[in-house]
Amino acid sequence: MNTDDILNVSKILLEYLPNTLKLFALTLVFSIPLGVIVAGLKRCRFKPVSWLTNLYILIMRGTPLMLQIVAVYYAIPMIVKGAKDSAAASGTELSGFMQSLDSFMRSDNYMIIMLVIAFAFNYAAYFAEIFRGGIESIPVGQYEAASMLGLTRRQTFFRIIMPQVIKRVIPATSNEVIVLVKDTSLATVIAYAEIMLKAKQMMNTYSSIIPLFIAGAFYFVMNAIVTVAFAMLEKHYNYYH
Amino acid sequence: MAILEVEHLSKKFGANKVLQDISFTVSKGQVVSIIGPSGSGKSTLLRCINQLETADGGSIRVCGMDMLQMIGGKAVYSKKKTLREIRLKIGLVFQNFNLFPHMSVMQNIIEAPVRVLKKSKTEAVSDAGELLKKMGLSGKELSYPCELSGGQQQRVSIARALALKPEILFFDEPTSALDPELTGEILKVIKELAEEKMTMVIVTHEMEFAREVSNHVIFMDGGHIIEEGDPEKLFGDTQNDRTKRFLSRYKNNF
Ligand SMILES: Nc1ncnc2c1ncn2[C@@H]1O[C@H](COP(=O)(O)OP(=O)(O)O)[C@@H](O)[C@H]1O
Ligand SMILES: [Mg+2]
Repeated sequence: MNTDDILNVSKILLEYLPNTLKLFALTLVFSIPLGVIVAGLKRCRFKPVSWLTNLYILIMRGTPLMLQIVAVYYAIPMIVKGAKDSAAASGTELSGFMQSLDSFMRSDNYMIIMLVIAFAFNYAAYFAEIFRGGIESIPVGQYEAASMLGLTRRQTFFRIIMPQVIKRVIPATSNEVIVLVKDTSLATVIAYAEIMLKAKQMMNTYSSIIPLFIAGAFYFVMNAIVTVAFAMLEKHYNYYH
Repeated sequence: MAILEVEHLSKKFGANKVLQDISFTVSKGQVVSIIGPSGSGKSTLLRCINQLETADGGSIRVCGMDMLQMIGGKAVYSKKKTLREIRLKIGLVFQNFNLFPHMSVMQNIIEAPVRVLKKSKTEAVSDAGELLKKMGLSGKELSYPCELSGGQQQRVSIARALALKPEILFFDEPTSALDPELTGEILKVIKELAEEKMTMVIVTHEMEFAREVSNHVIFMDGGHIIEEGDPEKLFGDTQNDRTKRFLSRYKNNF
């Protein structure tokens, strides 16, 4: 590959960067609030809820994200196919619900929606464990002081506990976000048009491994930005310890 | 007038009977010291009165309001609303301060007046300024707890408790977490409060201080009140063997 080729490959990869960023950003936007909710459910005093939450976390963390992506992506097509087959066999019409599923899975946004669902539920499990650890690391004395001052449970959580939890979970959250930047490349498994997929195609086009190095540089720069952003956030919370 | 009436209070942790048949009264303006060896149930007693622990039996009245009563042989707590009303009449100063580390000194003090008593922020800030002046902490309003010495932190936590204008203030070993050279400043603040006739119950290992500041002393051991009475009498010439042994051990150790 000559310099022109390298420039060309970089340009093409840059065109697919928005798709990578879209998956990354949407996953964060949904998985963090979901993680807070899951952490709350796990701490629920009604035991069945906390057991089910545990099971969910166990499955999400215990099986490959790549498998989860494939399963989520192909679930609807499989169901629709089953419905069509049995409709054809019995000579009846496809039900309205199945018809709308059918058109949904053919729509433009189907792939990104399924990807975000798979990623968000997977990352929520990791975030939930981080947040739960953060909540449980706050000394009971903080709750007792708040209760002696007459603060309600709500006020105690939002005014006293949560701000301290945020500071404590920043380092672990930062790790998870760095992994997410790299994990977006798993979306190639269903041929989502992001950087990794294009780099692989161009590796074949040019019979060269250099496109992979260029893609690697993209991920590296993204993570440098993530690292700096979290370092700034950490510094912002440095006014107390 | 009785601010606090405790009768036949009992509390178990599993099979461990931590409080047994505890009865005492604190009247307005009184300063009561509670002394006793470690593990005798002093903290648990304070925590039961402060609703941080649930008692198993007995009764507790605060400012004439029932908090816990025996009804048909069972200990029954009053309605949430009453418990909350009682809570706001009681202040507690912890051994390890429990200040909110993410809040400045000023925010620590005005949090409850603003959020719980619904005071205006201006009023809360000006009241807090007065309290800080009294605690010798003027100029520290914007500091964070981690920037203060242990003695200063404890004085902030006293100011925080006083900001709710409690009828009675409890201290659980307020100087035990401090370096010896810092205990004096806390004891001085408590003495000043005593001179202003603040009703207080103080768990302490500072015997000289207890003798000087309080007008009633309770000696606890093994979950029982062994002896109580006038400080001069109890510290000066107690007739009780267990009290004698405890006090002599203290003299030898310190
Ligand atoms: N949360 C708890 N769970 C179980 N046992 C406890 C708990 N808190 C205190 N105890 C026990 O109760 C007894 C009295 O403790 P405490 O009230 O802290 O005594 P003191 O304050 O006089 O040192 C001790 O035996 C202690 O181990
Ligand atoms: Mg204690």
